[in-house]
Amino acid sequence: MTVSTAPKQNSITTHLGNGLKVIAIENPAADIVSARVFLPVGQGNETPENAGIFSLLTSLLTRGTAHRSSLEIAEAVEYVGASLGADSASDYSLVSVKTVSADFEQIFTLATEILREPSFPKNEIELERKLTIQGLRSMQEQPFSVAYKYFREGMYGQHPYGFSSMGTEETVMSIQQEHLLEAHQKHFRPDNMVVVIVGRIAPEKAVALVDKLLGDWSTPDYPAPVANLPAVDSHAYRIVTPQETNQAFIIIGYLAACVKHPDFATLKLLSTHLGNGLSSRLFVELREKQGLAYDVSAFYPTRLGPSQFVSYIGTAPENVSVALDGLQSELRRLCEIPLTENELQVAKNKMLGQYALGKQTNGQIAQLFGWYEILGLGTEFDTTFQADVAAVTIDQAQDAAKRCFVDSYISILGPATAVEALR
Amino acid sequence: MQYAHSNLNSAPNPPVSNLFDGSGGPLPFPASVIPLANGLTVIHQEIPATPVVVVDVWIRAGARYEPLAWAGMAHFLEHMVFKGTEKILPGMFDAAIESRGGLTNAATSHDYAHFYMTIAADDLDHALPYLADLLLQAAIPDDEFIRERQVVVEEIHQSWDDPDAVGFQTLSEMLYGEHPYGRSVLGTPEILQARSPEEMRQFHRTYYQPGNMRVVIAGGVSRERVVDLVQKTFHTFPQPDACPQAASASLRQLENYTQQTLALPRLEHGRLMMAWLGPGMGELQAACGLDILATVLAEGRLSRLVRELREDRQWVDDIASSFSVQEDCSLFMLSSWLEPTYIKEVEQVICDRIASLATIPITEIELERAQRVLCNDYAFSMETPGQLAGLYGYYGTLATPELSLAYPHYVQDYSPQELLPLAQQYLSPNHCATLALIPQ
Repeated sequence: MTVSTAPKQNSITTHLGNGLKVIAIENPAADIVSARVFLPVGQGNETPENAGIFSLLTSLLTRGTAHRSSLEIAEAVEYVGASLGADSASDYSLVSVKTVSADFEQIFTLATEILREPSFPKNEIELERKLTIQGLRSMQEQPFSVAYKYFREGMYGQHPYGFSSMGTEETVMSIQQEHLLEAHQKHFRPDNMVVVIVGRIAPEKAVALVDKLLGDWSTPDYPAPVANLPAVDSHAYRIVTPQETNQAFIIIGYLAACVKHPDFATLKLLSTHLGNGLSSRLFVELREKQGLAYDVSAFYPTRLGPSQFVSYIGTAPENVSVALDGLQSELRRLCEIPLTENELQVAKNKMLGQYALGKQTNGQIAQLFGWYEILGLGTEFDTTFQADVAAVTIDQAQDAAKRCFVDSYISILGPATAVEALR
Repeated sequence: MQYAHSNLNSAPNPPVSNLFDGSGGPLPFPASVIPLANGLTVIHQEIPATPVVVVDVWIRAGARYEPLAWAGMAHFLEHMVFKGTEKILPGMFDAAIESRGGLTNAATSHDYAHFYMTIAADDLDHALPYLADLLLQAAIPDDEFIRERQVVVEEIHQSWDDPDAVGFQTLSEMLYGEHPYGRSVLGTPEILQARSPEEMRQFHRTYYQPGNMRVVIAGGVSRERVVDLVQKTFHTFPQPDACPQAASASLRQLENYTQQTLALPRLEHGRLMMAWLGPGMGELQAACGLDILATVLAEGRLSRLVRELREDRQWVDDIASSFSVQEDCSLFMLSSWLEPTYIKEVEQVICDRIASLATIPITEIELERAQRVLCNDYAFSMETPGQLAGLYGYYGTLATPELSLAYPHYVQDYSPQELLPLAQQYLSPNHCATLALIPQ
């Protein structure tokens, strides 16, 4: 499917005097406005000692400013039935707003207040700390999350991507108010920020609003700190975790190209071919033909630093060996046997069709464009990425697989009787 | 709770709600409801600027229609529909849709099964005949039945490793008793082992009939084209059959507070789940009142229980309410995540706060907040053709498609006084089922 669901309405892209970039896109279809404010700061700016600081920091943005308490912020948002949230990920942090159009100005004003003047009240820090630790513990309840945690740690070690975005219990316990204030001071600044507003609002009006609220924010006189994303120094790795579960999980993956690498579009395509949808290679071979699994798939995240290409399967404990062989041989196959013309074309159609379907809502559009901007790719990446995918050849696909699928990282979790033999 | 065919792109959970303009006035129903001569209902809405079409077929063929010994049949059949017909080999449909950049999936709950696809508007002529043939002429080949059963068994095993799913199932049994809502949609491995492909074909012939089916089509396609295509493709239905029926069981509110504790392995923190039965889709207005109360109690930082138990006393790590409407009843649930040592205290506080809803009206401010939150959530849930189709299909299957518009008006019309009798009737601590999950 070669449709574009992105609106072709009015849009403005501009920089304010302080360097802040604004993208405003009008989409009058629904009475909704979505905004995303992106900052280029995330896990990549953390160290093993303060892992999780940006997750904690962003979760505290809505919990107090110089002018309002946590409760007052909640009142402002909930009484108009809007949503205002903040979050952080591998390579960015963001504040999101969604309102009916009449309420947008009011809630976006609040969003800029939490960005500029968060107060990180001590009691709120304690509360969020508790919630974060609860979140870390709940991941231990899910067999896949446990298997993935060991997989990720084996692959990345002390690299920032080796940690959960929430950090660890130890680091979360050690973060104090002064650390949060300092991190905010250092990283939250207009010259590296991108604001995207999409919805039923005239672009001129949206830009004027951003200028009014953020245009007077001055840029510090020192350069913005950059992410610390070293190369990863690790090698093929296998970890087996005995746990008395009903189902076993196998994760096999590789270190993989970052978003700016020439293999990026090709690996995205391979991950689609292998793991995306009911007609994907893994689904057909391991689920449809062999009935080995309900859940079998692959993913390849978009990352500024060294990414990962991951495949996984949840299977009956007695089938662990068969499933492991099955996953491995499908990965090997991509290196050894070229895709057919038809397989390649199907993967392209699937990838581009679903990409278009991922731009249906105002929020999705704002998210995608803001993300591309903050990764340093520009909104034009929306077009070049699709062109890159369409241009991938059979040889390129095989070569990229050969380059990527070298040192395999494997994590297996399941009942001891089933998994011990696979150590 | 509904189960997706594949969790690669899981189905949206139909909200109780959309199409609200914020003004409070009734809007004309923007979709057409077209009854066909064979008893099939088509629901169509053209969205002119959209290059996408969503087809969502809803069938009154959920787990509630299974006799006890067939539990899991409806969901297993939903998997087997993808295994083709005389004309369509297994996997052909998925490949046909996905190779053109479309998406397809399905999900089953107690009241329904539904099958949906999102495709380019130009591909509708190509794709719809496939979907119709799968649904009307499912072959359920013997060898595929045996293989796919392993897949479903893995799906069941996966749910057994999920403490929240285990808790929800236990609570459902406490609350619904003999009613089919008390059984897992997935069934059990033992029951599925005992079933045959012929029994499944019988279930299929019985329920996949035009009167049970709503074909919802939303997006960049005209009404004429939709009616023409559906008439051509949803044409030859299976010869009607009559498979064993579910034993009739009525739903009754619990008469006494019912409490259970379940110790689970690998649990990192305790859970306290408290649930009440509310009115079903037939009394949507009353259900909307309970939705307001659920929001007042535990949706958002300003809600009573979040504020008291999480923010102030800090006895819970989190607390949330959920409210969902099924055909025969609705479910009002409060879930807390907490240290097991606080379970007793928290349970007591929740019972006290629930009891007070029956005697002291909520404030005007609380009501207005809940109304704004619910009505905006409703408006936000209609941004895409897929969301729209899901909403019309859900209401169209459980009641009428037009009822999907009533939700925001019902919510807006409540006064604090009018909520008192609802709390009295439905939310007494006596009617509550409580389940605590603690680490083994």
